[in-house]
Formats: sequence, structure tokens, C-alpha cells
Amino acid sequence: MSDPWSLLVPGLVVLPLAAATLVPIVAGRDPRRAGSFTFGVVLLVTAMAAALVWRVGEVGAISVPLGGWAAPYGIEFRFDRFSAWTLGLSALFAFIVPFAWRYLEGTLPRSRWHVFYALLLLNLGGLLGFSVTGDLFNLFVAMEVVSLSSYAMVAVAGRGVAAWAALKYLLMGSVSSLLVLFGVGLLFALTGSLNLIDVAARVAEAPASPATTLALASLMVAFMLKAALFPLHAWLPDAHAIAPSPVSAVLSGLVVKVGIVGLVRVLQLSAGSGTDLALVNQVMLVLGTAAIVMGAFMAVFQDDIKLMLAFSTLSNIGYIVLGLGLAAPFAVIGSVVHVLNHALIKVTLFLAAGSIIHQTGFRTLRDLRGVARVMPQTSAAMAIGALSIVGIPPTAGFICKWYIALGAFESGQGVYGFALVFGALFIFVYYVRMLNAFFFRPAVRAEVQAAREPAWSMRAPLFVLAALCLLLGIFGSIPLAFVEPAVVELLASMGR
Amino acid sequence: MELFGFDLDYVAFMILFCIGLHMLVVKSNLLKKLLGLNVMETAVFAFIITSGMVDSGDPPILVAGTNPPFANPIPQAMVLTGIVVAVSVTAVALALIVQIHAHYGTIEVSELKERP
Amino acid sequence: MRGLGLALVLVAAFTIVLGIGGLPPRLDPEGPVHTHVGARYAERGLEETGLRNLVAAVLLVYRGFDTFLEVVVIFTALVAVLALPSGVIGGTSWREPDAETSEPDAETSESGDRRAAAVVDRPDTGVPVSNVVGFVVRLLAPFIAVFAAALLYRGHVTPGGGFQAAAIFGALFIALGLVLGRAKADRLVPRGVRPYLQAMGPLAFALVGLLGWRLTGAFLGYPSEASAYVLREAMVVAVEVGIAVGGAVILARLFQALEGR
Repeated sequence: MSDPWSLLVPGLVVLPLAAATLVPIVAGRDPRRAGSFTFGVVLLVTAMAAALVWRVGEVGAISVPLGGWAAPYGIEFRFDRFSAWTLGLSALFAFIVPFAWRYLEGTLPRSRWHVFYALLLLNLGGLLGFSVTGDLFNLFVAMEVVSLSSYAMVAVAGRGVAAWAALKYLLMGSVSSLLVLFGVGLLFALTGSLNLIDVAARVAEAPASPATTLALASLMVAFMLKAALFPLHAWLPDAHAIAPSPVSAVLSGLVVKVGIVGLVRVLQLSAGSGTDLALVNQVMLVLGTAAIVMGAFMAVFQDDIKLMLAFSTLSNIGYIVLGLGLAAPFAVIGSVVHVLNHALIKVTLFLAAGSIIHQTGFRTLRDLRGVARVMPQTSAAMAIGALSIVGIPPTAGFICKWYIALGAFESGQGVYGFALVFGALFIFVYYVRMLNAFFFRPAVRAEVQAAREPAWSMRAPLFVLAALCLLLGIFGSIPLAFVEPAVVELLASMGR
Repeated sequence: MELFGFDLDYVAFMILFCIGLHMLVVKSNLLKKLLGLNVMETAVFAFIITSGMVDSGDPPILVAGTNPPFANPIPQAMVLTGIVVAVSVTAVALALIVQIHAHYGTIEVSELKERP
Repeated sequence: MRGLGLALVLVAAFTIVLGIGGLPPRLDPEGPVHTHVGARYAERGLEETGLRNLVAAVLLVYRGFDTFLEVVVIFTALVAVLALPSGVIGGTSWREPDAETSEPDAETSESGDRRAAAVVDRPDTGVPVSNVVGFVVRLLAPFIAVFAAALLYRGHVTPGGGFQAAAIFGALFIALGLVLGRAKADRLVPRGVRPYLQAMGPLAFALVGLLGWRLTGAFLGYPSEASAYVLREAMVVAVEVGIAVGGAVILARLFQALEGR
């Protein structure tokens, strides 16, 4: 009688969250157990997500009414083709957790290891909940789980500077959350409902009202703030650069995507409600382009490799928003897949940077000259990541940007295509600068010359990630083809 | 009650929201910034709660003595959740501020900016 | 900053005024808020959930998953505060620095336990608690506890419920902590059981949710047959108790953590 699929979707969210509460108990006297426990949970979640993605490919979107209350009377979980990125999400956590095992030694006192793992699991659970929920208020609460654990993870290892970066992040993030709550409240006052699809339908029926515009605008701005879209990016570089590297990987690769997933949800909502999106798309185009150029521009002047990577996230968020704003099939498909591919590449880069910093103790290009001689394997992984993020074929970064550019030319907005290529050149410059320093300059620091490759538990995840960067480039058409039906449906409802 | 065609409760919400926003942006003291955030949160809660009220309505508790129409229970549940979220965020923010004070010896943004 | 603040406030005020002007009339019983989902809860809430307090019905039954995530949020807050490097309040560390990383050790390790215990017995703040305050808190404590328990127990009939009870229990812990001193207050909730108690909210939800799935085929479902009345009631109470106990312990621990443990 009980359909297992109806348990699997909520289970995907509940399992990591409930497991997080168990981490302090499991850790007991041996904090290392927390790490293995967390890894086990993440693997299980990944398997569940894989099963769901397979199922969605077979039968289409799965809708699960929680508690048996059909929408709009209860909360609905929808696992659709967009939600498939949850598989990538949990899989990336499965690389980050084993990386953290050894990384934490010397970074964090053992007594706080279990807290760190609990935060990782809470973050994962929140991200999964955010990605599969079809209910506006549930979206807000899930987002808060993600945000709160992210603030804490920024401050977890550092002292004053980290706390200050975390507090800046917290204040910005809370304003964004508040705007989401306000938007949801407005939509509820307008429609009396909280279910995404139901709200869209009821807004479409009702006469056009400035309140609807305010609600959608409030949600838009909130998610742009969460995604750190230029010019709302001020909080991001510090927070991402100061956090411990596994955390930077989570924040930069995955948590900023909350804003993007949220934007897609608002677009779905607006499209379903018949709002004219021409202006919104225009704004997204302009801001996206500005983000690409400014992110690249600011990254060129950084000497700190983690700051550089953080600014590169700004550029990539720009690419994704630009693609969404173009509202052409190719561009949107490219954007949606870039959400995943950028996550993969950025996790690779941050873990590689983390290994280098962990082994040498330095984090600026000047100090790290010649590091590739002593850490050739890690540096190779870093190079693959760098080539991917620039978008050199055949890597994971190429195909998405190619699709976005195609979309720009196809929809007759070629100027944005050129902006994209120009941005990519800029990005190429600073990654070349980094690779040049690592590979071709003589070492200036004795500590760098004495450094060794990190432990296997740190190297192995890195190798697999680098390999995936290449594999997703070669087999990049699979995820593109997978999201295509969902994108076509979205664009059709937007009247494109 | 109305004011220039606007519902008075909503106008009050708007004013409260703006006071909070002003505190958040202008004040240099981190605690005051946090308070500003809390005021904004309270404004949004008040907005949501009032939107669920009904003329001559009773609280949504079905016992002897209450009659329809009932106030909508959903905004009340939403705000209860919102308050718990706000408390949690405030707790974390306070912990961070304690941390900042311990390290820098100040919680004034203007002074924090001058230090590395 | 001042100019920016003023500009932002003006923009916000202007946009909000423009927007809220378009909202449907507020108290209108025929408005969309009162004719859609809310109306059905008012009509069939009692029969479908067995709860007379519709807010509790929404929180626990119709939108139970929101509440699950909410409980997770306060748990996250606790973990977040515990995650911060602590022990430095007012510039002086009252714990000995950890040898390997020069950061304070935790309560989970044995040495940490002993060290913390030694520290906890010192006078807390140097400010003596007034006799009047001490007496009143001690006198009222049992009544406050009973009140919190009543809120919890009667929460589905009257205003109240798990969160309210948690807030009052938590406040009680905090008041007692202030009056009795840290050492005694620490013993109110023994260290060994804290990890279990603080996890109670999310875990109660997860278990009740699973049970609901076994019984009804929907996660967090509650059996609706009249014969399952007792079971349903038990599930609701289990969740409420989880929220109340977990929430109270988390609130108390948050306070302890903020005052420097």
C-alpha cells in the first residue's frame, strides 16, 4: 500500500537533517567517527537521489503530497527534471566530506569536528529541501536551514576576521530571507495559497495588481542577493575566501545556487501567472553581463588564490543569469546545466586550492610560485579545473558557455554572445596568471619547496573530481538532453 | 481603518519596515544593526498576521464560544515559524558579535573597517 | 552611509506603498485569504485532524514539514553557536588553551569535562544575585514549570503548544541558571543526556513521519479513521513533547553558550 517513491522524496530531505542531529551522539568520544558517519549518510542520500533521477527520466516529475494532503491544502514536494541537480549536489558532498577528514586536522580542534560535520549535513539537507519543495513557505524555511548553517561554517575555523565576514554574510543573507518572506506573505494575501503552481494559477486569474509586481520583485531581488549577482555581491568574496576550503567549496559551488534555483522558481511562478517578463529578462541580461565583466575584472587584480576563485564565482553566476535572461532554449538549457557544472568545477578548484594551502601554508600567488614541482598531481587537478572554468573544450565548462552563446546568437541578441566571449578571455587571463605562477616560475619560499602531496584521502576526491570535469565535457550532452524537456516547458509557459 | 485609501495597518507595517531598514543601513554599531534587522522582521510578521485577520472574526480555535468567521490560521502558523527562525538567526548573530568583540575589542563598523 | 540609508528608505517606502495599494481589502470575509485554503481548514480542520486549535492543526498536521524544518533551524542555531571558537569573553580566556591548536577543548572529551567542571565552580560574574530575585525565582519555578506543561498538554485545545512550552521551559532554565549559578544550573540537564535531548525535536518528527508513512502511505500522515483516535493523539503528543523538550534544552544551551558556557 505504501508507495516507496512517496517516501524517497521526503526521505531525501529528512535523512541528512535527522542524521545531523545524531552526529554529536555518534561522535561520542572519537570525533573521527563523525566523519565516517557523515560520509555514509551522504553516500546513501546520493544513492537515493540517483534512484529518483532515474525515475524522473522514466515517468516524469514525481509529486508527493506530504501528510497525504493534496496541494494546495498541504505541502507538495515536486521532483522534476530541474531537481535532478540534487544528484550532483549530494555527489559533490560525497567528495567534500572525505576531503575534510584530513583537512580538519590542524584546522579545527578535534572537539569541534562533530559540529562541523553536523553543519555540513544540515546544509545538504536544507539544499535538498529547497530544491524539491513546491511550496513557497517551505522554500523559505528550507532556505533558512541552508543560510544559517552557511553563516556558521564561514566562522567555524577562524577568529575575529572570520566572524566579521560571517556577520556581514549573515546581515545580507537575513535581508534577503526577509524579502523572500515578505514576497511570500504578499502572495498569500493576494491568493490565499502557498503552493507554487496554485499561486501562479490564481494570480493569473485575478486582475493585474501592483501587489503582484511587488511580490515578484521582492522575491527576485532576494534571490539575486542570495546568488550574489552584481551589484549585490559585496558579502561574497570575504565570506568565501576566509572560510576553510571544504566550506568555500560548499558555499561557492552549491550555496550560491540557492539564489539561482530560487530565480528559476520565480520565473516559473511569473510565467505561470502570465506576468510579462520582457523587462525582467532585460534586467537579467544587463546584470548578468555586468557580473561577468566585473567579476573577471576584479579577479585579475587578486593575489590570494581563494579570493580569485571567489570572484570567479561572481562571473559564473553572471553567465547563468545571462543565459536565463536570454530566454532562448539553448541559452536556458546551458544555464541550467551550468548550475551543476560550475558547482563541480568550483568544488574541484577550491579543494585543490585547499590542498595547496593546507600543505604549504601559503595562499598568495607570489608565495606559491613553483608549487607544481612539489605537488604535481594536485596542481594538475587545479589546472584541469582552471581550464574547465575558462571554457576550453573538451571540459565541463565549455559546453554550457557554448550553449549560452548559441542561444544569444540564435535569439538575435548577439551582442551578449560577444560579451560572453570577451568575459571568457578576461577569465582566461587570470587563470593563466595562476597556472604560470604554479608551473613555470621558480619557487621563492623554502616551505613551498619542502611541501609534499597531501594524504590520499585528500588527493583521491580531487582526482575523481578532475576526471569528472573532463568526462562531463566529453559526455556533456547527457545532462543537457535531460533538462531539455523541462526547459522547453518553462519557455512555452513564458510564451517563447 | 484607512488613510488616503491605504489600509492603516499596512501603512504601519511600511513605517516599521523603513525604521528597521534605516537602522540596519545607517547605524555603525553592530548590535543596533541587528536590532534594525529584528525590527524589519517584526514588521513583516505584523504584515503577515494582519493580512489573515477578518472582520469581527474569532481566533481559529474551535471551542464553545467561538463562531465563524475565524481568522485564517495559516498566517499565524507562518509567523510562529518565522519567529523561531528569527530567534535562531539572532542567536547566531549575537554569538558572532561576541566573537568580533573578543577579537577586535569593538563592535563599531567604522572602527572595524580600519583594522585588518 | 546616511545618504544611502535615506535613499534606500525612500525607495523602499515608495515601492511598498505602491505595492500594498494593490492588495485586496484586508478584513473582507470574502477576500481570497478567507475563501481558499483557510476556509477549508476552518470547515473540516476539526474532523480531519481532531485538533480544536486550528493553528496547531496547520503546524502539526497540514503543514507538518514546515514545522520539522523549523525545529531543524533552531537545532542549526545551536550547532552554529557551538561551532564558533569560544571561551573568549571580554578578552580573557577562562579555559586553558588546547595544546595542539591553542583553542578551547570541548565538552565531549574526558579532559575537557574535568577542566570545564573545575572552571564552572568559580563565581560566575562577580555580581551577586539579589536575595529578592533569588527568592522569587525559586518560589515561582515550580509554577512556571506547571504552566509550561499545561501549555504543552492543552496546546491542541487552547492557544499554546510545543513552541510556547519550549520558550517558557527555556526561560525557566535560564532564570534558574542566573539564580543558582552556573555549576548548579549545569546539573539541571546532565551533560551526558544533552546530545539526546537537543536532538529530540527533529528526531520525533522523523520517527512520527515514518510511522505515518507506514500507516497511511504518506510521510507525516496521520491515520484519519475514528478507531485510530488514540494513536493519532499519541503521535501528535510525541511531536509536541519533542518540540518542547528539544526546544527548551536548545534555548537554555544557546544562552549558556552566549554567556561563555
